[in-house]
Amino acid sequence: MPIPFIMPKVDMDQEKATIISWEKSEGDLVKQDETVLIVETEKVAIDVTAPATGTLVGLKFKAGDVVPVATIIAYVLKPGETLANIPENAGKPTQLKAAPEVVAAPQQSTAPIPATPLAIRMANELGIDITLVPTSGHRIFKEDVEAYAELTNNVTTISQTKTDKIAATPAARRLSRETGIPLDSVKGSGPFGRIQAEDVTSTSVTTPQSSSDRSAEVIPLIGMRLKIAQRLQASFQEAPHIAETVEVDVSRLEVIKKHLNETAELNGTAKVSMTAILVKLISWALERNSYVNSSLINESIYLWKNVNVGIATSIESGLIVPVVHDANLLSISQIAGRINDLSVRARQNKLELKDVQKGTFTVSNLGMYNIHQFRAVINPPECAILAVGAITRKPIVVDKNDSISVRPIIAFTLSADHRVIDGVVAAKFLNDLTKVIEYPEILVSSIS
Amino acid sequence: MPEITYLEAIRQTLWNEMKRDERVFIIGEDIGRYGGAFGVTHGMLDEFGEKRIIETPISEPSIIGAAIGAALLDMRPVVEIMFMDFILLTLDQIGNQAAKMHYMFGGKATVPIVIRMPGGSGSGAAAQHSQSLETLLMHLPGLKVVTPSTPYDAKGLLTTALRDLNPVCFIEHKLLYKMKGEVPEEDYAIPFGVADVKRKGKDLTVVTNEIMVHKTIAVANRLASEGIEIEVVDLRTMVPLDKQTIIESVTRTGKLLVVHEACETAGWAGEIMAVVSESRAFDYLDAPMRRLTGKNTPIPYNRDLERAAVPQEEDIEREIRAILKGEY
Amino acid sequence: MQKEETFVTKASRLKLTNEQLIDMYRTMSLIRQFETMADKLYALGKVHGTMHLSAGQEAVAVGISRATIKDDYLINHHRGHGHFISKGADINKMMAEFLGKDAGFCRGRGGSMHIADFSSHNLGANGIVGGGIPHSLGVGLAIQMKQLNEICIAIFGDGASNEGVFHESLNMAALWKLPVLYVCENNMYGMSMDVARATAKLPIAQRAEGYGIPWYYIDGNDLLTVYETMRDAAEFIRSGNGPVFVETQTYRYFGHSKSDRNLYRSKDEIDDWRDNKDPIARFKGQLIDHAILKEEQAEEISNETLAVIEAAVAFAEASPDPDPSTVTEYVYA
Repeated sequence: MPIPFIMPKVDMDQEKATIISWEKSEGDLVKQDETVLIVETEKVAIDVTAPATGTLVGLKFKAGDVVPVATIIAYVLKPGETLANIPENAGKPTQLKAAPEVVAAPQQSTAPIPATPLAIRMANELGIDITLVPTSGHRIFKEDVEAYAELTNNVTTISQTKTDKIAATPAARRLSRETGIPLDSVKGSGPFGRIQAEDVTSTSVTTPQSSSDRSAEVIPLIGMRLKIAQRLQASFQEAPHIAETVEVDVSRLEVIKKHLNETAELNGTAKVSMTAILVKLISWALERNSYVNSSLINESIYLWKNVNVGIATSIESGLIVPVVHDANLLSISQIAGRINDLSVRARQNKLELKDVQKGTFTVSNLGMYNIHQFRAVINPPECAILAVGAITRKPIVVDKNDSISVRPIIAFTLSADHRVIDGVVAAKFLNDLTKVIEYPEILVSSIS
Repeated sequence: MPEITYLEAIRQTLWNEMKRDERVFIIGEDIGRYGGAFGVTHGMLDEFGEKRIIETPISEPSIIGAAIGAALLDMRPVVEIMFMDFILLTLDQIGNQAAKMHYMFGGKATVPIVIRMPGGSGSGAAAQHSQSLETLLMHLPGLKVVTPSTPYDAKGLLTTALRDLNPVCFIEHKLLYKMKGEVPEEDYAIPFGVADVKRKGKDLTVVTNEIMVHKTIAVANRLASEGIEIEVVDLRTMVPLDKQTIIESVTRTGKLLVVHEACETAGWAGEIMAVVSESRAFDYLDAPMRRLTGKNTPIPYNRDLERAAVPQEEDIEREIRAILKGEY
Repeated sequence: MQKEETFVTKASRLKLTNEQLIDMYRTMSLIRQFETMADKLYALGKVHGTMHLSAGQEAVAVGISRATIKDDYLINHHRGHGHFISKGADINKMMAEFLGKDAGFCRGRGGSMHIADFSSHNLGANGIVGGGIPHSLGVGLAIQMKQLNEICIAIFGDGASNEGVFHESLNMAALWKLPVLYVCENNMYGMSMDVARATAKLPIAQRAEGYGIPWYYIDGNDLLTVYETMRDAAEFIRSGNGPVFVETQTYRYFGHSKSDRNLYRSKDEIDDWRDNKDPIARFKGQLIDHAILKEEQAEEISNETLAVIEAAVAFAEASPDPDPSTVTEYVYA
């Protein structure tokens, strides 16, 4: 087998070497370790010696050629061997290393388009063929591209690419993305007019909407909000809601409330709210109107023996309905204590599961928000919900002589699931409720 | 819980570990009768003898080299380098040898050494005895870098260091040596790579370490009376770095100040900012991230000059106010 | 050394059997084959980085390894192939490491300069000149503390003797009477720097005098001299007398590393060492002269060792490269 004579690698990061001169010619006899050619790397000139003793044949490269290391550059034949024994791949790099293509000398470089990277990028952005851009010097600069763009009426595009970036903090940019409020519609309050996060959030509240576009704070419908949405939507779609309203004179309740609170103060116990008193009276009415205190579950109507009154409570993350269990069996002050405990824990997110389970009826009171009258959506699987309005002082007829008197009035609106509760059933409940509010002595034995 | 000093916490930990593990020994200059330049090893020679409290000539590179050799034979050497500044004498042994061996020998070698080094300024020791060089060490993969700020942390982190299989640079700020704090007598370890939020706050995050933790907390307490709530993140270990805590904190506050005593250029404040920039916290930034660091100067001798060379409480306060006022 | 003593008398005084002598020859031959193959592989572009070949220094490696016990700890320099081979390292794993393969001693992370085999108490070669010398202190201390029978052999070159840690370490080793055999393998050049231009007073070994360490300056190309000196030194150390320093005068044939064009030394000088002082040719001559080895046997050994090396190359080339996704493995234990 002819012995391959390779271009040696002599340096750590060396990839190729230039042949300076051949000291031996085709057909010469060479001795092992005898210098055959001189090559040059980037660092040094090297004598390359013969790998074996024999006849030097198959010289592939001439002086000046740049040859990748490990390329076979010739062969050494032992006596009796011929060139015919040389394998096909002579002159190709040996296996293992993907060396760069052999470059013949002398090397003539073909110059690329002389343009700066910025100029090339700008030309690409403007859709300009960079080779058409006339140069003012040895290279095409940004200014050349701009001048060419102006000539070819690309001015508007130019001005767009030149638009200064709006100064905004990363948080402001994020909020802009999330809300869809464009940053150029926001006035920056930060240093150098930089837009801060707060500038974007306040824009979403106060900036008048432009006619073509709306801006909003976008909040994903997730977690508790999603549950509320699903429950109430289901309720409103599945349960045919009917609503009936009564206006009730609550002067007697105000007296009772005052009395109870004076007692509470003396005893050092918690004050009672109008809600607590109403829950007591509502429980009394529920005891007498079992269809209103019911649930519709899997095509069965459950008429509950217990009276568990849920109080719709607004908290930061949404709406929650903690339950006063067996409200009919509790005194007003017990109910007041229980409501107080539940609402405190609700706001601290510390309600337990049992606090919100097993409700049989719900009361929603917007009185403190000065809402006079409203309709609530039933809290399924319950069949009715009572919406309690604000106490309003109204002139009403108080006797058979049509005497007018100003009295504290609350409007109660019962929303009922008509699948279970007929209009008359709802009306009877409201009448009972009216009766007990106007004549609370009916349940005097329970008041303490 | 007993109150002991930072120095006593370190001594107690070394003492207990030497009782527990006979492979542990201490090697360094003047650590015997003298008790070490700062007195950390005081009394240990009598207890453990000169075979385990090995006093050396002044030959820092070879002291570290000796520790490496012993570690290769499964010993647990603790090196005391008298001043952190002297690690510059030893960088070959720390950086080319200890840090690299596990890797370059394909996982076959482990180098469980702890190099204790008092660092930091404030003692009037001037340019060659006052540096904070943790960044230098952080840049050498293979090393762990620990910077405890309290006696409690010092004990828990040193315990972990002594049981770690890697070379650990344990940096003790000189001014903390006398600081007292509650330290349980029983053995406990604080894992590396877990930053400690030393103070919760919602308005701005300060990421810091060692003595600057205390300066920052003092400032934060003052600002709290004005309703400004500063969150103070004590990194505790620089390598490994608890990126998660930094990211979470900045995501909440939207503002970051990094405070360190080491000088500014290529200091680790830049690293912390990079961590934030590369993370989701970037999108919550509502002010430029800022750093407050030692000046790019050697530590001077004169007391006022020395104070001026590194961040003081008033500097931290001024910087926090400036960020919150939107001055940057 | 005793000039009149014949080779045979010396060998028998050293209680070396013919089998042992031939084995020593074989090991030197194996090292030479490895280094020659390494050079070839490099020229073929199969070696990624650099390498430092020890051809010409084989007698030092073999003399030390045969004069000490297998479990003695070895701290090595960057020109360390010979010491590893003579300590019995797996040639396949060495070659695989040399080619950067996953099957190598260091799973391709170390390369030629950082071969280590901790299981055979070979604590690794060092890429930093003199970097390993202070490790001998800790190894020595650990041996003392654990009351082991082993000693530590710390080998470095003439260049390393001008590093600070050299002096620091000799001082401490002497102070603490550590069980360390310091071997300065003087091959005359620190890269291109002639030892006579780098070292104010020669031999290097006399520096040990200043630290109160017994020292020898010997012909590192005479195998039996190396063997005898190292054996005596190791025995002295093992008996608890503290360190010994041996300087072995030798020569490297190849350049410092592969970028070397030998501009700092003459071809005549290299040829003189190759032709007249080669440790392998010299030992072979002695063995043949005294009929311990026949020429055909020598030929056979040469073929045999070449076959071992070729098999190692085949093994290494067939081994997979390390998976790039594992690049950060082993940064921390």
